[in-house]
Amino acid sequence: MSPHPPLHLTASGAVRAALASPGLRLDLGLAALHLRSRSALLAGQLQRVYPHFPFEPPGDFADLHVHVDPGAGLRRWIRPQARFRCDSRRNFEPFPASHALPLVEWGSNWLIGQRFNDHLLLHAGAVERDGRALLLPAVPGSGKSTLTAALSLSGWRLLSDEFGAIDPASGEVRPVLKPVALKNRSIDVIRAFAPDAPLGPAFPNTRKGTVAHLAASAAAVAARHRGARPAAVILPRWSDGAALSLQPVPPEELLPAVGFNAFNYRVLGARSFDAAVRLVRQCPGWRLTYSRLDDALRGIDQLWRDLVPAA
Amino acid sequence: MSDDPTAHRWLLALGEPRQALGWSLAEWQRHIRLARRLRLLARLAEGLDAAGLLDQVPPPARRHLLAEQQLSRWRVDALRWAALRVVQALEPKAYPCVLLKGAAYVAQGLPIGRGRLPSDLDILVPKAHLDDAQVSLAKTGWDELPTDAYDQRYYREWSHELPPMRHPHHAYELDLHHNILPPVARTSVDAGLLLSRLQPSPWPGWQVLHPVDQLLHSAAHLFLDAEPRERLRDLADMDQLMRHFGVAGACPGFWDELPPRAAQLGLAEPLALALHFTARWFDTPVPEPVRRRVAASGPGALRRAWLVPLFGAVLDPTDPDRMPGLPQEAAATLLLARYHLTRLPLRLLLPHLWRKWRKAGDQTL
Repeated sequence: MSPHPPLHLTASGAVRAALASPGLRLDLGLAALHLRSRSALLAGQLQRVYPHFPFEPPGDFADLHVHVDPGAGLRRWIRPQARFRCDSRRNFEPFPASHALPLVEWGSNWLIGQRFNDHLLLHAGAVERDGRALLLPAVPGSGKSTLTAALSLSGWRLLSDEFGAIDPASGEVRPVLKPVALKNRSIDVIRAFAPDAPLGPAFPNTRKGTVAHLAASAAAVAARHRGARPAAVILPRWSDGAALSLQPVPPEELLPAVGFNAFNYRVLGARSFDAAVRLVRQCPGWRLTYSRLDDALRGIDQLWRDLVPAA
Repeated sequence: MSDDPTAHRWLLALGEPRQALGWSLAEWQRHIRLARRLRLLARLAEGLDAAGLLDQVPPPARRHLLAEQQLSRWRVDALRWAALRVVQALEPKAYPCVLLKGAAYVAQGLPIGRGRLPSDLDILVPKAHLDDAQVSLAKTGWDELPTDAYDQRYYREWSHELPPMRHPHHAYELDLHHNILPPVARTSVDAGLLLSRLQPSPWPGWQVLHPVDQLLHSAAHLFLDAEPRERLRDLADMDQLMRHFGVAGACPGFWDELPPRAAQLGLAEPLALALHFTARWFDTPVPEPVRRRVAASGPGALRRAWLVPLFGAVLDPTDPDRMPGLPQEAAATLLLARYHLTRLPLRLLLPHLWRKWRKAGDQTL
């Protein structure tokens, strides 16, 4: 057990003060984020969408250092901003001050995708059950995050809604545990699917429309340093009105799909090729088309039962 | 900026990787953040790897070194591939084809060829063959990025290179040069002198500048450029070029030739600044007589009195938890003004800036 209390049980004043200085440590599993900001708004938003992460000091070493500051001069008062910086560089355009959380989420995801070339980083949802991982690689707009969110609310452990981080040495999928970012209609879909789902505030008018974040569960947070060997790869696609369809994908078709849906496939060269070959040799692949979440979950559940003996 | 004189001692680990083994985890964190921003992290990784010391790095730091090393190896491989394809389009038997800067270091197999993060491929051909080269490259798919008639004239008449070219198969911009500095600049170089001392390279078809000229080119590139901010990696290159060709003796006669060649090419001032700053941050062991000769022909005391602090301010890396301070911004602005004044004579500069300013205005509307 961590000696540190979870963020949602910590007094908001203490979180606010720590976030301002010396900063908060958010250990995501694959990488630890050192986050600093004077924004009281951001402190409250973090408590809502990272509730089960321990409230801990930055420590000696973090992998990502993110600082969110308000604009200078008049900007502090007139249409205040949230500005992102990492290691003295501003990598992004500023957001309105109220949107500090989506800025931190997108910015840190971008940094992870750039930096962690010690892993093959698939653009994929990743969940675990019975000790084995299920990977859901997909292009944006396929409903990957929605499906990952629904699975994480249905007995699966969330590893990540964005990164299928594969350790080339062991072949294991490592958690990159952050809140699931739901966009536009997905927010209502998940609210309807699980009325108690721990959703954070909705942020309208972002680059990607309205965004709301689903918090990771206490169990997922406790297990964020535990990877899992992959057991299956599902290529999901949401399509309005479509009947459920789960078609096997042969390895020779799965391999290019894996490579195509990776952030750093080319950078890793032979290493990513070897890791991807190993993945498609070990894991059967399916193409999932669906319009109703319940159908998709039932299909995946059945498939999983045939594939992975329950522990 | 840092007032602590030991704040930059970590840079010595680029040349002597063993120094890094004494770092605490907190020091690793600081140096990784700085080195990544300065594009020196993969260099540090390759140095530790070559010395067989990577295994002794604490695991939280080691993974960052390995990840950046992976990125660098991919980019360097892609650069090699691009260079080998490009030379097939050119006619190295008809005219010399020369690799410049990073690509030349990689082609020669120099220690500083490892751990780079190249973003463009810089090559040089004689001015008489510039059009031939461009036509040949265009035939194989290298297209100029769109420029208007004015930009074309700028590049053709006043610049030392053509507009950058892109190719759908390559991740790099190709910069085709006929000189290392603009012909109309206050400091201009006789390209014939460079071409008269070319050296073969292990990459078929490609030649490189003489080692002394490679160092002088790097110095000119840093100290006569528009944006020298935080370009410590250029100093790291120069430090290692001098150690390899001079101190380790890979180029016999390197030290004796350096001061007169700098004077001949008109690059005494950038060389003097290079020696000053490599000594300050990298302890580069330049023989004392060479140092004295360069100092004697370099900028006078009055020029040094403003150039050295200005470059000191812009080169000094900002602490990773802060944003660049006002002194650095101000120094960078002054050096930009100096750059413009030395790049184009005033009669060309004022209309040029006026045009660029009007155009920038149009684009923001």
